[in-house]
Amino acid sequence: MVFNSYTFLVFFIIVLTLHNLPFFNWKTKKINLLLASYIFYAAWNPPFILLLWLSTVIDYFVGRALYHQENKTKRKLLLVVSLIGNLGMLCFFKYGTFLLENFTYLVNAMGMDFHPAKPNIILPAGISFYTFTTLCYTVDMYQKKSKPVAKLLDFSLFVTFFPHLVAGPIVRPPQLVPQFETPRKATQHQLMQGLLLLSLGLFMKVVLADSMLSQSANAVFGSHDKLATLDAWMGLLAFSGQIFFDFAGYSTCAIGVASCLGFVLPHNFLYPYGAIGFSDFWRRWHITLSAWLRDYLYIPLGGNRNGKYRTYFNLMATMLLGGLWHGASWTFVVWGALHGFYLWVEKIVADFRHDKVKAIAVTPAGEVGVLGPVPEIFKKKTLTNFFLALLTFFLINVTWIFFRAPDFTSAWRMLTSMFSYVPNGAMLLSTLSMIKITVILIGVVIAHWFMRDTKVLTVAEKMPWWLLGLIWTVIVLLLVLSQESSSAFIYFQF
Amino acid sequence: MPTSPLPKAAFMVLLIVVISVTSWELYLRNKGMKISYDDGKELWADKRAKVYLPSDQATVFIGSSRNKYDIDAPTWKKFTGESIVQLAIEGTNPLPIFDDLANDKNFKGKLMVDVTEGLFFSLSPYNTGDPKEKVQYYKKRTPSERFSFEVNHVLESQLVFLDKGHYSLNALLETIRPKSRPGVFVEPLFPEDFDRVEFSRQDYMTPRFESDTNLQNQVKGIWNFFRSMSKEKPLDGAPLDSVLATVKANVDKIQARGGQVIFVRTPSSGPFWAGEQMGFPREKYWERILSTTGCKGIHFADYPAVANFQCPEFSHLKRSDAVIWTTNLVEILQKEKGWMFSHMPANN
Repeated sequence: MVFNSYTFLVFFIIVLTLHNLPFFNWKTKKINLLLASYIFYAAWNPPFILLLWLSTVIDYFVGRALYHQENKTKRKLLLVVSLIGNLGMLCFFKYGTFLLENFTYLVNAMGMDFHPAKPNIILPAGISFYTFTTLCYTVDMYQKKSKPVAKLLDFSLFVTFFPHLVAGPIVRPPQLVPQFETPRKATQHQLMQGLLLLSLGLFMKVVLADSMLSQSANAVFGSHDKLATLDAWMGLLAFSGQIFFDFAGYSTCAIGVASCLGFVLPHNFLYPYGAIGFSDFWRRWHITLSAWLRDYLYIPLGGNRNGKYRTYFNLMATMLLGGLWHGASWTFVVWGALHGFYLWVEKIVADFRHDKVKAIAVTPAGEVGVLGPVPEIFKKKTLTNFFLALLTFFLINVTWIFFRAPDFTSAWRMLTSMFSYVPNGAMLLSTLSMIKITVILIGVVIAHWFMRDTKVLTVAEKMPWWLLGLIWTVIVLLLVLSQESSSAFIYFQF
Repeated sequence: MPTSPLPKAAFMVLLIVVISVTSWELYLRNKGMKISYDDGKELWADKRAKVYLPSDQATVFIGSSRNKYDIDAPTWKKFTGESIVQLAIEGTNPLPIFDDLANDKNFKGKLMVDVTEGLFFSLSPYNTGDPKEKVQYYKKRTPSERFSFEVNHVLESQLVFLDKGHYSLNALLETIRPKSRPGVFVEPLFPEDFDRVEFSRQDYMTPRFESDTNLQNQVKGIWNFFRSMSKEKPLDGAPLDSVLATVKANVDKIQARGGQVIFVRTPSSGPFWAGEQMGFPREKYWERILSTTGCKGIHFADYPAVANFQCPEFSHLKRSDAVIWTTNLVEILQKEKGWMFSHMPANN
C-alpha cells in the first residue's frame, strides 16, 4: 500500500482510531499495529508476507543466541546463518537475474554455449530496506552493541512497523525498540506535527514529483533519439527534482504518520541540494542509508584509520556497494563509482589543504558523513559557499543520469546531448513543462540553501499561525486538485 | 514556552479547504458540467476483469474511440438484456488488447472489434503504448489498488471537480499554456464538452457540443492536426499480411474456445469518411479482414438506416445517433449475423 492512495487513507483512519481507543491495553495496541503493518505490506502482494515473517523469526532467535553465546565458533556460525538468511534472500530476489545474466555473459565470452531460461523473479517491495533493518540488529548482537529485544512482539513490530517498512527511514533497534516498551499515544502537538508532515510529504510526492516533473523526466529518459541540449538538461533537472520529492516525500510521510501515532522516526533528508561537497551531500541525502553504510561497511573495512590509500579504497568500495544496493544493474554501480570518485577528489582537496578530519570511529554517530564532520568554513552562508553548493548540485545531477537511464546507451545519449552540439536533436518538452521544471528547481535550490541548517518543523513552529495556515492550505488545495492516481514511490523498487 | 501555531493553522486549513472545494464544485455544477470519470488504467482494468461474465450476459468491445461514442450502453442493455464490457481506447490500435484476450484461456465470450483503419492497421508504437500499459496494469494491479479504485469510484460518482482530464491541476495549467518551440509535439486540448466519460466507459458529447459549431470546429481542427502529423503510410505488402495473420490467429484462438468474434466498421462522415475511403480502400483492408479471418462483419455503409449519419466532428456519433446505431446494430446482429441474446426482453 502506498501513502498516496485512498486505501491508505482508510487504513490510517482505522489504525489511528484503534490506537487511541482507551479500552485497549498497550499489548493489544501493539498487536493491532503489528497486524496493521502486515496488512499494509500484504496489500501490495500477499504471499511476500512470508518472507517478512521468515526474516523476523530468524533474526529474533539468532540475535538472542548471538548475544548470549560465548563460544566464538558458534557465534560465528550463528552470524553466518543470519547473513545467509538475510543476504541470501536479498541476493535471490534482487540480484538473481542480474547475477545469472552476468554469469551467462561471462561463460559465453569464454566460449561456452550456455543459454539458461530467463528467471521470472518478482522483487518484493522494500526488501532492501527491511533486510538492512534486520541485518544491523544481528551485527549489533554479534558485537554486543546493545541488548537483545526481549519480546518477539516488539522485535516483529520493530522490523515491520508500517511507516518505515518499505522505503525507510532505515531504523536501528535502539531508535525504535525502546518506544515499544512503554505505552505511546500522540499528544495533540505531535498529532498536528504529524499531519503537517504527512500533508507536506504527500504534496512533495503527488504534486511536485508525480504531477509536475515525472512526465518530463520520463519523456526525456524514454527517448530513443538524440535530444536537443536544452531538452536533455531540462529532463535531467526534472528527474533531479522528481527523485528528491519522491523519496524525501515518502520519508516525510513516514515520519509524519509515525508522529500521529506517537512514535519518532529518524530524519532521512536534510536539504541535500544545499550541500557543499559530496560528504556533505551524504550527510543530507538518505541519511539513514549513508549512516548504515558508514557504520556497517565503511568502518568495519577500516574507515579512515588505516592510512590514506586504504581510506580511498574503503570509500570507493562503500560507494560501489551503495550503488548496487539501489538496483541490480551496472548503471547503479557507475552511479556509486561516480560518487566514490567525487569523494576521492574531495578528500584529495582536503588533504592538500591539511583540513583536520577526525577519525570516524571517535566521532559521535549521526554527525558525520563518510569523511567526518563538516568543516567550519562550510557552515557559513557566504556567496562562495553558495556557488560551491551550486557546483555540488551540478555534479550530483550528472550522477543522476546513470541512476535513471535504463542502460548505458541511454546514459551516453543523454551525456552527449547535454555536453555536445546536437544538430536536429529531438525537442520533447513544451514551454509549459520547462516553466514548471525551472520554477520548481530554482525554488528547491533556494529553499535548500536557506533551510540547510534548520528543520521544517522548527521553521513552522516559529511562523505566525495565519502564515503557516496559509501555506498549509495551499499545500492541501494543490494536493486535492492534482488528482494524481496512486503511483508507486521510486524507492519501492530498491 | 511559546504556544504552537499548529492547532490554529490546522483549523484554518480545514475551514478554507472545505469552503474552496465546495465553491469549486458548485461553480462547475452551475456551469452545467456533470460527473465524468477518469478513463485511466484503473477504470479500464475494472472493465477488463468483467470479460469473464458468461457469454449470454455480456459482450466485450475493443477498438478505438468510435466504439466508445457509438455504442450506447443503456440501449444495448434495453434490447439485448446484456451488459457491455467496453475495452476500446481512444486513438489506439486494439491489437494488444485483442492479443491479451486471445491468449487468456478463460475468455470465451462474445467480442466485437471496431475497425478504424487508420489505427487498426498502424504499427506506430504511439498507437499501441497505451493499450499495452493498460493490459500490464490489469495483470499486476494489487489488492490495495483495487480498493483505492472502489473508494475513488464512490467519490468520483459524487463530485464533478474530480474529473482528472479537465479539472486536475495539470489540466488547468494546460489551458493557459504558452506557445512552444516549433517542432515540439504538444498534445492538442479537446473541449471539455466533447469527451465526457460514464462509468461504463461510454463517451459522449454534451448537448452544448452537439449544437455549438465552434466547439465542433475545434475538434475538426484537432483531427486535421493529427492527420498532418502522421508520417505513416497505410500498411501494404508483407506488414499488412503480418497484421492480418495476427488477427486471424487471435480469432482462431477465441473461436476454438467457443467464443464469437465480429468486426464492425463504425460510422464516420464528411471529409473524414472520404479520406478513409481513399487511404484504406474497403476491398484492400475491410474485406481482407473478413476473408482472412472468416468472421462476419458489419459495415455501416451497407445499411441504409445507418449509412448517412452526420457526425458533429466527422468521426463520432452524437448521443441520439448512438442510440439509433446501437438499436440497428442489435437488430443486424440478431437477424442477419446469427447472434443470440438469450436475456432479450420479450417486448423487443
